[in-house]
Amino acid sequence: MRNFTLPSEELMGSGHLGCQGCGGALAMRYALKALGEKTIVVIPACCWTIIAGPFPYTSLKVPVLHTAFETAAVAASGVRAALDIQGDTETTVVAWAGDGGTFDIGLQSLSGAAERNENILYICYDNEAYMNTGIQRSGATPYLAWTTTTPEKTPKAEPKKDIMAIMVAHGIPYAATATIAYPDDFIRKVQRAKSIYGTKFLQVLAPCPPGWKAPSEWAIKLSRLAVQTRVFPLYEVEYGERYTLNAPKEEPALPVSEYLKLQGRFGHLTERDIEAIQEIIEKRWQRLLQRVRESS
Amino acid sequence: MTPTLTGTKKVVTGNHAVSYGAMLSRVQVISAYPITPQTQVVELLSEFCANGTLRAKFIKVESEHSAMAALIGAASAGARTFTATSAHGLALMHEMLHWAAGARLPIVMANVNRAMGPPWSVWTDQNDSLSQRDTGWMQIYCESNQEVLDTVIQAYRVAEKVFMPAMLVLDAFVLSHTAEQIEIPDQSVVDEYLPPYRPIYKLDPNDPRSFGGLAPPDVYMELRYKMHRAMEDALTEWARADEEFSELFGRRYGLIEPYRADDAKILLVTSGTVTSTAREVIDELQSEGRRVGLLKIRVFRPFPAQLVRETLQGVEKVAVIDRNISFGMGGIFAQEIKSALYNRHERPPIFGFVAGLGGRDITPKVIREIIEYTESHDEPEDLIWVGVKR
Amino acid sequence: MRKPIVFTSEREMPPMAVSLADMSHNRTGSWRYMRPIYSEKIAPCKNACPLGNDIPRILSFVSEGRYEEAWRLFRQTSPLPGVCGRVCYHPCETRCNRKDFDEALSIASIERFVADACFDLEDEIPERPRRSEKIAIVGSGPAGLTCAYFLAKDGYAVTVFEAASQPGGMLRLGIPAYRLPREVLDREIELIARWGVEFRTNTKIGQDIDIEKLWEQYDALFVATGAHHSRALNIPGEELALTGLEFLKAVNAGQTVNIGKRTLIIGGGNTAMDCARTALRLGAQPIVVYRRTREEMPAIAEEIEEAEHEGTRFEFLAAPTAIYQRDGRLEVHCIRMQLGEPDKSGRRRPVPIPGSDFVMRADSVLKAVGEEPDLSFLSERLETSEGIVMERAQGLLERAGIFVGGDAQTGPSTVAQAMRSGREAAFAIMRFLRGERKPKAPQLDEALRVNFSYFAHKPRVKTPQLPVSERILGFAETKRALSADQARLEAQRCFSCGVCNNCDNCWVFCPDAAITRIDGTYKVNYDFCKGCGVCAEECPRSVISLVEEEL
Repeated sequence: MRNFTLPSEELMGSGHLGCQGCGGALAMRYALKALGEKTIVVIPACCWTIIAGPFPYTSLKVPVLHTAFETAAVAASGVRAALDIQGDTETTVVAWAGDGGTFDIGLQSLSGAAERNENILYICYDNEAYMNTGIQRSGATPYLAWTTTTPEKTPKAEPKKDIMAIMVAHGIPYAATATIAYPDDFIRKVQRAKSIYGTKFLQVLAPCPPGWKAPSEWAIKLSRLAVQTRVFPLYEVEYGERYTLNAPKEEPALPVSEYLKLQGRFGHLTERDIEAIQEIIEKRWQRLLQRVRESS
Repeated sequence: MTPTLTGTKKVVTGNHAVSYGAMLSRVQVISAYPITPQTQVVELLSEFCANGTLRAKFIKVESEHSAMAALIGAASAGARTFTATSAHGLALMHEMLHWAAGARLPIVMANVNRAMGPPWSVWTDQNDSLSQRDTGWMQIYCESNQEVLDTVIQAYRVAEKVFMPAMLVLDAFVLSHTAEQIEIPDQSVVDEYLPPYRPIYKLDPNDPRSFGGLAPPDVYMELRYKMHRAMEDALTEWARADEEFSELFGRRYGLIEPYRADDAKILLVTSGTVTSTAREVIDELQSEGRRVGLLKIRVFRPFPAQLVRETLQGVEKVAVIDRNISFGMGGIFAQEIKSALYNRHERPPIFGFVAGLGGRDITPKVIREIIEYTESHDEPEDLIWVGVKR
Repeated sequence: MRKPIVFTSEREMPPMAVSLADMSHNRTGSWRYMRPIYSEKIAPCKNACPLGNDIPRILSFVSEGRYEEAWRLFRQTSPLPGVCGRVCYHPCETRCNRKDFDEALSIASIERFVADACFDLEDEIPERPRRSEKIAIVGSGPAGLTCAYFLAKDGYAVTVFEAASQPGGMLRLGIPAYRLPREVLDREIELIARWGVEFRTNTKIGQDIDIEKLWEQYDALFVATGAHHSRALNIPGEELALTGLEFLKAVNAGQTVNIGKRTLIIGGGNTAMDCARTALRLGAQPIVVYRRTREEMPAIAEEIEEAEHEGTRFEFLAAPTAIYQRDGRLEVHCIRMQLGEPDKSGRRRPVPIPGSDFVMRADSVLKAVGEEPDLSFLSERLETSEGIVMERAQGLLERAGIFVGGDAQTGPSTVAQAMRSGREAAFAIMRFLRGERKPKAPQLDEALRVNFSYFAHKPRVKTPQLPVSERILGFAETKRALSADQARLEAQRCFSCGVCNNCDNCWVFCPDAAITRIDGTYKVNYDFCKGCGVCAEECPRSVISLVEEEL
């Protein structure tokens, strides 16, 4: 009585350096199951730079190009060009970056690649801060979260950057959100993206137990609650216009407090803070619903 | 061996000479961002790609940093790669220049020497390329449009042998926008000279490996050692490449070029287009009976220390013209030459002249004054500013 | 597992940082301070079942339409699934974890469905060595029947003595046909007999046979004579009241009993409810008089509901003080009660309210205030200890081997408890005969944690019932069977608490790919498991436990 049907082959080996309960590790594991062997992964500075393992080892069974922080999308574009000119149009080129290398320092090269509609699959595993360097805030850090550069007295004052809106604005063929608690959905989206020509973008929410200050065993639970509370709805957008909502369905959602209360990075929130967050979530949800309605 | 087919004679600018060089080298992936005074390089290459003269992918990136990053991706996947830039574009690439060298990728780039701002300047000096001298890129300073074209081809030959990237440098406007008659070699001869790129390792799903991962202290230093050894090997490879080039194409340039230096008492050292002007002045002085010679430094990285030392043997005084300045120290070529000589017993005094920054013209008159100054002063001076209005 | 790579010279190194091997040398298992282990737990339903029926596995079979396998699995722990599926108070459903998610599984109705679906099947009686010992069982109620079944399965010669004309005990005499049709009971007794059990009916202990004689002729004895002696009301005019149990026996035996149009039933237990519902079917209006409130009634909640649904009226916090005969009817004097301090059963003691006397009139009064066992036929020199009767006199220890169980031991209890008692007695007898000690039962943890995220809400199936108007016309079975589709779909609601059913979650969610699945089993690779605990958290059914790593 299986809950999920995942491809069996493991292209991510054990012995990697991810923390206990690392959401980013699970994200990579699923992505590679979806992509298969004929894949080249480009990894800028991020947790996976370290998780993969040091020279002369690697925990991945596909070719990997490590590259500088801000260059994931364009280095992937270069790999793609080289493969194409040498006659290989089969191998998939994937840029695999954290939220820092996507929302902030990597945004320029990502935007450039998207504008050129480079034939790459860009997957951002979003753990909502610069985790690799010790939990500093990024543009992806949610409103009022604690990080080492947004301490409790002055938590993050700005809402999370809407990277999906930015990518959708580029009109790329496919953009979608996914998360590790729904591996079937994530794998389906990766495989769908792989079959499309042009720039494809996936934002994958990947909980980081040390950075979110939660026990490691809750990595999946937090990912699931993020969806169920509408903090991180799962949806797809084609060509910047057609929206499809995958989850949660339109039934009463769990209140956002169910999600926030499990994480130490939100431990300082007051009732008012939680209400404010609930309002933001509600607004974004309504906007998403409207776009879904307009699409159908 | 006598050269076989001769090429086509054409009047082209320095920038277009670069384009022809890249085209003949059958580059496969180009990634570039426009910047004055490089733009014609990429414009002509775009045309070559569009009309099928060159079968290559041209990624029109959104910045120079991305241009180099794209090429690193492409070269890692086994393609022959090319870009061109200048000044601020080169500066923006800085991080990725280190990356290309550390990744041992034989990327070839043309840099049009242009002064750095602020204040904005589009005219020539050498600070942009020399600021990158520690990145691990080979650097070749070209004097003529023919040399530019030929150097592109030679650069691929050497880079793909030693697996270090190479930057050929040409002066803004003086070369980049100045048209000269050159010979555009025949493609088949270039093909004979330059075989396809064969990397030792590349991104390949049939042999999956990870490139550029974290190297702890116990292994990092050896990798750096290997890079330096490659640079040392490059000295030999440049000579060999130049020799074989001359056999096929009938032209040679050397890593350095002494000009009428055999029994010179004063040796003028130059690089770039100043060399052309200097040749004229040397000829004049020689006809006046003066024992003044010229040393052109062409390959700056790896620095041809031994060749320089040999050339400076027996010279009484050396005058180095630097079209650059390392603030708080002095002209960079002068420093490098001094450094090459320091541990030797024979160390002629070296006068370091800084001239022509921001494109200020270095005329024959200026060169003469430099030589006069050198001759008339006994004590060498580390830094002499030429023509600054005080 | 490989050794780390050590370069002794730069010449051994590639020109750039490129990988030469994987990370399998890096045994991240050393990071662990908690270790996940697969340890199946006992499902609360199975734990609550007095017979320990393997409910999760049985439901798994039913969910796949494998009814015969489900039935055979029942019969490993119970010879009476058809009976229990109808009359058991299903403590399994009370403990079912699904109740905290939506509604508990309708386990009893599935048991009934399986028994009915397999009505025509028979146990496969294997070739087995016949044992030399003979065992006598006194009483063929649920305890005696179950004891006989397990002993006979093990090859012993068993003779069951029954005072009534047919075996079954309370199952036949006390429980009415509308709850337990006779065919069902007969069939399951027949299946027990097929194992070689001999039934001697119309033989009453202490009357037709002597316990001491039995004790000489047989190698072990199991006394399971039940609790048939009704307690007294201890009020004047008591003799005017009928004993509830006798009333039921008479009706169940097919005799005509006249209780008139209006009958008061004193008591709040299952017997009282059976009396009320039987009275309705005889055309009378029953009024149950109980000295406490509804909450304290010992009867099964379902029985109370059905009795009420069918038309029984209730008079709570009232007790009779005297019964008189007046003008051909009965005049029952009662007094109101209030609840005071709890008594030794934990329930609040009813205290009469002075001056609150009132009178109720009725055509008959049935007293059903509890029963007691009658063990007077046992010799005095035998002393009971936990149901095992030991011969105290010296030199006769080796002759000890008389066991007492069921209601005879505990007083009135439930069918399932009686059956359990019978089975335990069977195994105690086997140990006694073979000179073995009782093994220590392994203590399994209960599977209490269910991860509800992996289940969708689905309401519990509604057991079809006859409409009330039809029911009270006769003694046809009131509860109907589930259809096969209903049974299967309901069984699919089972969480399979504590029993791995290959959902793959642990394998799916391991961030270190440290769980492998081979041939339907899962293994943790402890060389690499970092002990993050995600597998334990996401196992929907408590199969994975986290234990402290030995440092």
